[in-house]
Amino acid sequence: MLGRINRRIRWRSQAGLRLLSALLLALVWELLARRLDSLLLPGCVETIAALARLAASSELWQALWLSNQALVLGFLLAALVGVPLGLMMGRWRAADRYLDPYLSILLATPKAALIPIVIMATGLGLISRVLITFAFAVVVITVNARAGLRMINPSWTEMARSYTATEAQLWRKVLVPGALPAIVTGLRLGVARAISGMVSVELLLVAVGIGRMILDFQGTYNAPSLYATVLVVVFEAVLLLEASRWLERRIAPWVSQGAAR
Amino acid sequence: MSSAVGRPGNRGEVTGQGRGLGLRDSSYTWVSLLAGAIIWEVAARGLQFSFLPPFSSVLRAAFELIASGQVTSHLAASLINLGIGYGLAVTGGIALGLLMGRKQWVAYVLEPYVSALLATPKLIFVPLVYALFGLSRGTQIAVVFLSSFFVIAVNSMAGIRSVDRTYVEMARAFGASERQLFWKVLLPGSLPLTMAGVRLGMDHAVKGMIGGEMFITLFGLGALLRRYGDRFDSPRLFAVLLVVVSVALACSAVVREVERRVTAWDGEGT
Amino acid sequence: MIELRDCHKTYIAQNGQAAVLALDGVELTIQSGEFVCLLGPSGCGKTTLLKAIAGLLRLDAGEVRINGQPVTGPGTDRAMVFQDFALLPWANVVANVAFGLELRGVAKEIREQTARELIHAVGLTGFEGHYPRQLSGGMQQRVGLARALAVNPDILLMDEPFGAVDAQTRRLLQEDLLSVLGRTPKTVVFVTHSMEEAVRLGDRVVLMSPRPGRVRDTVTVDLPRPRPSDLERHPRFADLTEYLWQQLKEMQR
Repeated sequence: MLGRINRRIRWRSQAGLRLLSALLLALVWELLARRLDSLLLPGCVETIAALARLAASSELWQALWLSNQALVLGFLLAALVGVPLGLMMGRWRAADRYLDPYLSILLATPKAALIPIVIMATGLGLISRVLITFAFAVVVITVNARAGLRMINPSWTEMARSYTATEAQLWRKVLVPGALPAIVTGLRLGVARAISGMVSVELLLVAVGIGRMILDFQGTYNAPSLYATVLVVVFEAVLLLEASRWLERRIAPWVSQGAAR
Repeated sequence: MSSAVGRPGNRGEVTGQGRGLGLRDSSYTWVSLLAGAIIWEVAARGLQFSFLPPFSSVLRAAFELIASGQVTSHLAASLINLGIGYGLAVTGGIALGLLMGRKQWVAYVLEPYVSALLATPKLIFVPLVYALFGLSRGTQIAVVFLSSFFVIAVNSMAGIRSVDRTYVEMARAFGASERQLFWKVLLPGSLPLTMAGVRLGMDHAVKGMIGGEMFITLFGLGALLRRYGDRFDSPRLFAVLLVVVSVALACSAVVREVERRVTAWDGEGT
Repeated sequence: MIELRDCHKTYIAQNGQAAVLALDGVELTIQSGEFVCLLGPSGCGKTTLLKAIAGLLRLDAGEVRINGQPVTGPGTDRAMVFQDFALLPWANVVANVAFGLELRGVAKEIREQTARELIHAVGLTGFEGHYPRQLSGGMQQRVGLARALAVNPDILLMDEPFGAVDAQTRRLLQEDLLSVLGRTPKTVVFVTHSMEEAVRLGDRVVLMSPRPGRVRDTVTVDLPRPRPSDLERHPRFADLTEYLWQQLKEMQR
């Protein structure tokens, strides 16, 4: 019965409900900030003003440009390495048996812990940021590519073999297309991890770009701008992830189910 | 915008090794790790990179640190914060998830925020939390909490939604009240996905813990990582890293075992 | 006694599918102790009718009365057996059988005792501690039957209960059902789309036609009770099943 009610108030009221709750949230935030009147908690209005100011300035966009270089390059590298590696591990048991422990260890390891090592090896420039973003993203991509290969119906492989397909043909016609949905899922997860990597390295060790802005605002107790910059990162993350999801749905419609992250 | 319903962890997405041990329990594992250790040792001695100490010196540094109690005090601090933050995230996350799963309108209102926060790297909130709580235990616990809360909430919400309608209908046919329906059917039925979320939450909690500690640099294993990294003391750095990896694997294994026991009745999923 | 008067039910159009007139003025009376089979092709409304009697759905028009009282929701006088068993996977056999009793607040010892008796009655002694996924389809349905019997209903509502098992198991379950009912008679409303099953089990077969769902015909099954084991050889069996088959064939056109 509730379903029927829900359906009836669907379009109008539900959109209104979201809008209303958003406004309510903003109101509560503003009132709370005014009440506390602390340097550390900016009001909603202040933050939005700071956001507008930032968006108008070139500082924000330059920072985003700088930060995202590492994101894009690191992610691409992770995809280029991770997908073939995962497919290989999925196809050849031997490779999987020996490499799997390292994959599992890396999967469980907080990648941020690897940052000091990478910095020691490659300094504070773009390369180290790219390597770190790579490290954050490569493991999920590999694991999902491997899973994608394993999920392929063995009958397809048998069938192709029975029609005298060569290894190369097998890959092109059966394995890669068959594993594609899972690969794309892995790439989506990789995007999320790469963003995490980009943010982590900038906040922890290499203060450039967005991370630098955040640290600066924090240091100067400029709370409205600090919150505004964080919001920018949230927007970017949501944007990139929604784009990835959309792409994923285009390529593999049945895969958007699954436990989150 | 929402994360959709599905089966525990392993269909559709692979974010971990599913249920069971984090590492595959076989002789290949040990052979491979041993081989890796040997390669590491040989390569490190041969290449002589300052950032790649030989495995043997890492082990030595590890023994030293543990014996001197340095690591243990930081480890204890880390684990306490982890325990409190994770505990809060599990209780809060499951509670919120159940509420969102049960009440359509709550889910509808909150879902955009939860999804957005889920998508964002939680480390970005550390400066905010730091500004609010300062240099205290509270910051660290808040970071761990934020890292794991959303994953758990989303998954327990999915858990409630995943309960087969047939069970609900059957219980109604036998005269179950709404309360009985919740406690006797929805709650147990939501366990597989909820526990998957709890497992993922632990992984995220550990990551948040280390990230937070590396940012605040006051205490904990993360702080040690920063310290030794700044000093270019690679044997000690790797030693602490080994401890971190061990802690991460151990925590993961514990949660997986709990998950396995609690959902032993579930024939599906991996 | 179950009385259905002028029952109407329409399922609203959703997801691009047209509205379905599931029940269009269905009238039926079922006497106490009668075994009535609702037979018909898909979409004839037999499951809808069953759920209306169970109190799981509300009719758009018309009413269902049980012993003179209108049905407003599920009640203690009725129990349902489901096609896909609907056993709670996290509970073992005893807990599943005792489920209805648990909902009614019966004390643990009593309900477990009752459950064990019924588990024995349906032939599952020794499997009390098993979980549904460890049981075959036929065994799971026995648990479903035991669960329904545990609450001691006057009326058993069975929704194609043997549809999800293989033919041999089906036959066994049918015989077991009849023997259980022989010991403790109940009013049974049994939904099926198998004519043989309807004739084998029922006192009366109510034929329903689809789109819209209506009662097309009622056939009294004048076969002896208890049913002999070589029922197929009985002349009336062939007559009845042939007649029903002809009716069903016409409805398919």
